[in-house]
Amino acid sequence: MAQDGGALRRVLAGLILAFLVLPAFVVFPVSLTPNRYLSLPSGGVSWQHWQTLFTDPVWLSGIRESVLIASLSTALALAAGTACAIGCWRLGSRLTDMVRSAMILPLMIPTIVYALGIYRFYVELDLIGTMLGVILAHAVTGLPYVVLTVTASLANLDPALERAARSLGASVPQTLTRVIVPNIIPGILSGGIFAFIHSWDELIIVIFIGGRELFTLPQLIWDGINENLDPAIAAVASALILFTLAVLLVELGLRRRRQFRAARDT
Amino acid sequence: MVTPVLVEARGITKRFGPRTVLEDVDLDVHEGETVVIIGASGSGKTTFLRCLNRLETPETGQVRIADVTLGRRSDGRPADERELSQQRRLFGFVFQRFNLFPHLTAMQNVALGPRRVLGVRRAEAEARAVHELTRLGLAEHVGKRPGQLSGGQQQRVAIARALAMDPRVILFDEPTSALDPELVQEVLDAMRALAGEGMTMVVVTHEMRFARSVAHRAVFMADGRIVEQGVPNDLFGAPRDERLRRFLRHLEPHHDR
Repeated sequence: MAQDGGALRRVLAGLILAFLVLPAFVVFPVSLTPNRYLSLPSGGVSWQHWQTLFTDPVWLSGIRESVLIASLSTALALAAGTACAIGCWRLGSRLTDMVRSAMILPLMIPTIVYALGIYRFYVELDLIGTMLGVILAHAVTGLPYVVLTVTASLANLDPALERAARSLGASVPQTLTRVIVPNIIPGILSGGIFAFIHSWDELIIVIFIGGRELFTLPQLIWDGINENLDPAIAAVASALILFTLAVLLVELGLRRRRQFRAARDT
Repeated sequence: MVTPVLVEARGITKRFGPRTVLEDVDLDVHEGETVVIIGASGSGKTTFLRCLNRLETPETGQVRIADVTLGRRSDGRPADERELSQQRRLFGFVFQRFNLFPHLTAMQNVALGPRRVLGVRRAEAEARAVHELTRLGLAEHVGKRPGQLSGGQQQRVAIARALAMDPRVILFDEPTSALDPELVQEVLDAMRALAGEGMTMVVVTHEMRFARSVAHRAVFMADGRIVEQGVPNDLFGAPRDERLRRFLRHLEPHHDR
């Protein structure tokens, strides 16, 4: 790489990176403002808004609801997505390619269109305003992440392994739990992490379906910005970012370990 | 051989869609016998081997091993999938491409079946695994994963894995075809030793010298049928069927070891 071009390129890259990241991170200083309105801290730093976040019953219940919805919808997406990916892998025909493509659809349809459709459907099922409704909707929209990551890990797995397991007298459930799943655990974990983050910061479906009964963290932020400019919002936003980053770091760490293992084994 | 018949295949027919891969194949294998199956690719050898332990389900025909009919209960009714799994482990199977479980070490590969299928306790299963691996000359490789082993070593782990289930017969599906030439001999030596210990074996192979020196009987398959069989030296020395003559002409100059 040329030395003179290198410096310029690095500055440019740094600027682009700053452009991408700074708007998200501006909430950190704002969350520490001593004032009672959204502002950058001047004349001191205060943790009072963070304190609000972890003491105010509204925010606390928002955290609880968000975690609950994200966890349960992730569990559903994992079960259905992994089963789908393994089934397609075992059959391996042209039809299964179509099934896999159909599974990616929730990712490509604009969320608002999807939310509208699901709203009409949920009215009939009486699921509007219920946590179950949001969990199911998030499970469906989280599904593509799981199908994609699990399919990717299955691509490296030889379908003949199933035959080997059967030749040793293993039943189908044993083959699944002892041979197939342990080999694709990294893909399942990655898919779960993405599905969780997806539900964790999803707003549109929650607004459509949650109505005025459910308040996840993103929805509380949305309401807070529309109604009052409490700096606790900045603290919540910071917490959301920190949590998401932590989850992503876990994913990165898992991938590192996997690559390290693969390198050691060959 | 004068020992009793252990495996008896009768009228095995297998189709894949419109194509008939096996047509009415019979074969008896005696206790302690080593039978080698030869034939051009596409002759149905591998499918026949898989029909023996029901990795493939034949359209018609039956396989009996000892007093068990595969796919049937003792009262003659059809066996369900779980019962079939139980019956299947009377056969060991060694694959062309080893098919070791990549997430497990050599020892865990061998111990998995005894632990999970036979219900043996962990310590005992691992002791059995180490014993089988040592017997196949792999004592210093027990803790390695398949990716760290050579093809020959992997195939010997696969043989140990089959042995650890204490099968009545071991089926070998071209066990040396996926190996680099310099690794073939170690696997053949292991198989020779097994045959010497009286293990009953059915081996699909192109290794003619192995067939001559180890097998009690050679079976030639073509177009989904058994065309000719006999003592290997007789069969290879004086082939009657034209297809067998052609097959031997093509094979011997390149593959004789």
